[in-house]
Amino acid sequence: MSSTTASVRRKSISYAKWGYLFIAPFFIVYLTCSLIPLLFTFYNAFFENYMDGLKQIGPNFVGFDNFVTLFTPKSSGTIEIFKFAGNTMIMWIMGAIPQIVFALLLAVIFTSERMKIKGQGFFKTVIYMPNLIMASAFSMLFFTLFSNVGPINQIIQAAGGQVFEFFNNVWSARTIIAFINFLMWFGNTTILLMAGIMGIDQSLFEAAAIDGAKSSQVFFKITIPLLMPIIVFVVITALIGGLQMFDVPQIISSGKGTPNNTTKTLVMQLNAYIGTSKNYGMAGAVSIMLFIITGVLSFIVFRFTEPKKEKKGGKK
Amino acid sequence: MNDHNLLEERTMKKRIASALLASAVILSVASCGNNAPAATTTKAAETTTAAPAANNDTQAAPADTTEAAATDAAAPAAADEGDTFNIYAWNEEFKGFFEKYQPGYDAAAQTLNGVKVVWTINPSDNGVYQDKLDAALQANASASSADKVDMFLAEADYILKYTDSDYTMDISQLGLSQVDTEYQYTVSAASDSNGKIKGVSFQCCPSALIYRRSIAKDVLGTDDPDEVQAQLDSWDKFDATAAKAKELGYYMTAAYAETYRVFSNNATTPWVTGGELAIPDAINQWIDQADTYLKNGYTLTSGIWGDEKNAQMFKDGKTMCFFGPAWYFNFCMGNAQDPEKGCSGDWAICKGPQGHFWGGTWILAATGTDNPSLVADVMRAFTENEEVCENLIVNEGQFTNNKKVNEKFANDPSFGSDFLGGQNATAVFCGMTDSIVWANATIYDQLLNEGLQTYILDYYQGTCDKDTALANFYAYVNEKYPAIQTP
Repeated sequence: MSSTTASVRRKSISYAKWGYLFIAPFFIVYLTCSLIPLLFTFYNAFFENYMDGLKQIGPNFVGFDNFVTLFTPKSSGTIEIFKFAGNTMIMWIMGAIPQIVFALLLAVIFTSERMKIKGQGFFKTVIYMPNLIMASAFSMLFFTLFSNVGPINQIIQAAGGQVFEFFNNVWSARTIIAFINFLMWFGNTTILLMAGIMGIDQSLFEAAAIDGAKSSQVFFKITIPLLMPIIVFVVITALIGGLQMFDVPQIISSGKGTPNNTTKTLVMQLNAYIGTSKNYGMAGAVSIMLFIITGVLSFIVFRFTEPKKEKKGGKK
Repeated sequence: MNDHNLLEERTMKKRIASALLASAVILSVASCGNNAPAATTTKAAETTTAAPAANNDTQAAPADTTEAAATDAAAPAAADEGDTFNIYAWNEEFKGFFEKYQPGYDAAAQTLNGVKVVWTINPSDNGVYQDKLDAALQANASASSADKVDMFLAEADYILKYTDSDYTMDISQLGLSQVDTEYQYTVSAASDSNGKIKGVSFQCCPSALIYRRSIAKDVLGTDDPDEVQAQLDSWDKFDATAAKAKELGYYMTAAYAETYRVFSNNATTPWVTGGELAIPDAINQWIDQADTYLKNGYTLTSGIWGDEKNAQMFKDGKTMCFFGPAWYFNFCMGNAQDPEKGCSGDWAICKGPQGHFWGGTWILAATGTDNPSLVADVMRAFTENEEVCENLIVNEGQFTNNKKVNEKFANDPSFGSDFLGGQNATAVFCGMTDSIVWANATIYDQLLNEGLQTYILDYYQGTCDKDTALANFYAYVNEKYPAIQTP
């Protein structure tokens, strides 16, 4: 009774506390499982802390030593982290450009009112299918296919060719990794872009058709500009996913980035530090570099593709 | 970042469901025309035997969790012990022998003396087995009875890491002591730096040159083990034969690292001295030999566990020489034993250019085990129990760690291996045990051996120069073992 009278006395009823209550679980989980570990990574990066066999070394505070180690050139003159960051970007670009182009093409075809493709559900399921398979399983499959005694080399030999060592050649190894990533993710991108295209007002396409626009004109003048926010989203998520590239090259190269460390990615380096030696200091330092690179690249992509404010209301 | 994660999460359930489908596809592809044994097909895979339903009401907190030193009672009655016997291993080899020959093992119920046996098997490739084992051992003191590691297996390349730590028990605490039928090197390998014996080996692993009889006839004009040995008893002769084999269209070995063990085992310095890494001279010799062999086409770019090498074991293979101990040709040469495509009987063994050993499986008791009497039973069965050892030789082609039993078969003229065309392998190995020396081991050997073999290949392939290949190797060492100073 008393609560009813209290609420009657108040001017308005606030439901905000219920809102906070409902969103609390997310924040609690985020805090404990994401933010605290993130901050702890920064903290760890300043310590020497690893296992030597079964003996624990540290943790000893070492300041920026881990970062110095990370940026010290090896005896061959290469600064490894730059090389690994480069590998990651090269393999990502090799996979991401065809992924987005191909997905865009498929999305346009599937959503085209003029083509009206039959059995869309079937095709959509099939192109999405590779994404359902674990990356490690996919990598094992390709490793077997392209191995020196695998089916592909058997075909090459049957056709009179020499065995081609796909995994001992820099560009074939990178291409296979990029191709697996492409194959796994283009279905996902297609679905996202289709959703984006279907969100565009259909009357615009009809108006263009009445005005006699060619398909290419419709694509470049209507679809692409209006799809830009979705494309930005796709590029940024793909970029972040790409920077975290790990499972495919790890399995293809047995964790060693062969040949000549050209397929070793940043996260593989992180994994190498954390694996046997539990080297939280160095792994923390690599993580921070990854964090910074991700931030910077996302910012750049966002800046270059963000629609300008003055466009508001200007274009049709 | 979160959007991406969210997307991934949504697909995760479906992915898990499809994982089964995918692995089925892969298995069928991988098994296609390739009967590779378990050790080679588990690339990056990780098999953990299903944990049984925890039933630890009787064993809430064992009193001996503090330190092994506290348990001075030699072998407590099994009734006081835990109800799960956890064994860690890196392949199925020992599991197979254990299930067939361990007295008291009930195969139907998977129990030993009424205690549930649980195997946790992780591949040793890339140090995975060691990593998983280390984590389990470190958690052993606080683990529940069902999860405690009771017994684990270790290989020569890293056994020192475990014997020279508090995570393994002195076998005298289990009521065992060195028996004089064991080969001395197996005891030295299982001893810590104070000479305390921490485990036993069920194998003795002198490694032989395993050759194809038919190819040897072509190349050397004979397949008689003594005559072949006379023609291959030094590296100079071996190299000359490799050139001759090449002329006749054969490969001398099927993997560039095939001879690695022969050199590394004869190294006179350890990999790491005083925390500094230095490539031993013997391994430098191997680097040069492998380079020559690849450049001249005497061998292949396959790894020692590679499918390409294993394919050379088939009847239509063109490779003359393999190197390995008894476990190798009986457990890892499945292709050669394939009834259709294999060539069982077309093989023989001899000592080769230099005596060496490879691998070995030591049985160690984990500190904190709640089944010490079972561990002791297993250790005894596979070293002292003559019936078990005889079965290992007769049925499994092993060379056991029991001199008496080995010599019995070595001196039996009617005993021979069908795979080796009737040759008595046990007799050959008995003659090789004296050349085995346990020296220069470090706790880092497995990953150093594995890493060098991988990274140096880039130089052989012409992908980079030798310095870069070695720099890549050193960088790998820095990642794996921060304590080691590299050049």
